[in-house]
Amino acid sequence: MPNTVVVCTWDQGRQGVPAGAEETLTLARKCSVSAGLELNWLVLGPAPDRAAEIASKYGVAHLDRIDAPELSEFQPDVCVAALAQYCERHPPKLVLVPQTFEARLVAPRLAARAGAAVVMNALDLVVENGTVQLTASAYGGDTRVTYELTGADACVVGVLADMLLAEAPAGGTSQPETRQLPVDLGGVRERVKVVQRARCEGPRLEEAEIIVSGGVGLGTKENFQLIQDLAGALGGLAGASRPAVENGWVDSSRQVGLTGKITRPVLYLAAGISGASQHMVGCAAAKTIVAINTNPDAPIFRYARYGIVGDAMEILPAITRAVKGA
Amino acid sequence: MKIVICAKEVLDPDAVDNYVLAGKLEIGDDGKTLTQKAIPRLINAYDEQAIECALKLRDAGVDCQIHVVALAADPTKILQHAIAMGADEVAAIAVDTGSVDGYATAALLAAFVTSLGGVDVVLCGRQASDGDQGVVPAMLGEMLGMPIVTIARAVEMVGPSTVRVTRVTPDGDEIVEVACPAVITISNEFGPPRYPTGLRTMKARKVKPTQVSPESLSLGADGGKPRVTLTRQVMASITGSCEFLSGDAATAARDLVKRLRDERVIA
Repeated sequence: MPNTVVVCTWDQGRQGVPAGAEETLTLARKCSVSAGLELNWLVLGPAPDRAAEIASKYGVAHLDRIDAPELSEFQPDVCVAALAQYCERHPPKLVLVPQTFEARLVAPRLAARAGAAVVMNALDLVVENGTVQLTASAYGGDTRVTYELTGADACVVGVLADMLLAEAPAGGTSQPETRQLPVDLGGVRERVKVVQRARCEGPRLEEAEIIVSGGVGLGTKENFQLIQDLAGALGGLAGASRPAVENGWVDSSRQVGLTGKITRPVLYLAAGISGASQHMVGCAAAKTIVAINTNPDAPIFRYARYGIVGDAMEILPAITRAVKGA
Repeated sequence: MKIVICAKEVLDPDAVDNYVLAGKLEIGDDGKTLTQKAIPRLINAYDEQAIECALKLRDAGVDCQIHVVALAADPTKILQHAIAMGADEVAAIAVDTGSVDGYATAALLAAFVTSLGGVDVVLCGRQASDGDQGVVPAMLGEMLGMPIVTIARAVEMVGPSTVRVTRVTPDGDEIVEVACPAVITISNEFGPPRYPTGLRTMKARKVKPTQVSPESLSLGADGGKPRVTLTRQVMASITGSCEFLSGDAATAARDLVKRLRDERVIA
């Protein structure tokens, strides 16, 4: 019987920790303790600098390493093949992956190949009376659904790590055992050829401490400059709602939301954004949300800490001036 | 070339959002089904964009047959919309959508695509805006042994059986090429779908989709049985207490900046 919860990561992350790893390990550990499952962490490719330290912090039993030249950077067919081999040799009950852009493709592919179920957008996971129950977001963040694992022995889970908190267990935990596991990737051919790589231009919204975000309430593309000005004055980045991106006011890399970037800044200032749930999924984890909107009933005020009802075209420059000490 | 688009009918997500914000979303006695009759049912917007993608390929000169398939008790409305947009053939797989999960859906669609034979490209919306799971296309690709390219904003044929796809990634656009047959998912950045003329819509109302019974499809050893069951759905709770700052723009702005500085939110 499969009796392990395996957290799986393949990116190097920033500052030595893969994106979402600690939040996912928090959830995995909670589940492993309550369900009596062993907690392991499978790292594909070169180990992130702090892997051993983090593994120890979360009480991981085995830090499983699969490394091969083919895994030095992400390639989908190779990644899925490596994970499928692991699952065949060490059948897990649960595989938890932080729901990164790449994970959205890898998780369902792995599930199909390994005969497992798959649930994405997961926010919580419990095993109750032997049944695995997952809570996930649906309807763009408007509802929470519960899925039960009813027709498979194992489940791959995409965890919305950006919406969760990392919480290492108190007290000491034992040292994880590192296992270097073999893998055979010689026969894997990447069928999708990258012809032109994406270039990461500048700092990422997902890592920004301060975001000033604009929506269609700004009226015109030219008015978006007010967002850029304030973001610059605060030392932050500019973000946008999906409709503003679709209007062509700003590049899609600025899009905050369920199908854009999920951010968790210290400050999220939203101007001319109504607050539709699929946008709020992208910023609800911000410590402080400030909203500017002409409509006092705009949904965004439900999420905001501070609100200003008024014209963003007047208020944004006023805030920029106040920040600059004018 | 044969193109298949997989389409889903969903409750209008904007309408659902409005009901949730009003605190009035009705969930039925089964504890999971949204029961408001006032909420319209529409084609999943990403799937509509997938149909548009196929039509754009045809407009660009690709000689193709465009099939649209939907799984539901009665997806006639969205399939007639597909015809009005310009699809050639439409098929309905008669299934109670409450009884299938992503895996079972993918199994039925894979069996359908296999039964059609000779399919070169399968286009899907990146996710359905009700469940948001976004797992069907990837599972479908695995079941069909086809490569999967996700989150496309542009798709073009470069040569008779190679597709070039521009993907929207967190680091900006990536361009990839893949040999047919392949599964491609379309994201909202693709752009708006065409709006059929009134005449085309009227003519489309005469079209009856081909009915496909699940029993007629070969579903593999496990019969395409669902692996997860949705047991409960509740409104997400949005609690918050917003402090509104008053005065003219300059006053409110200074007030805000002072508070944010006092709280060490900004420097």
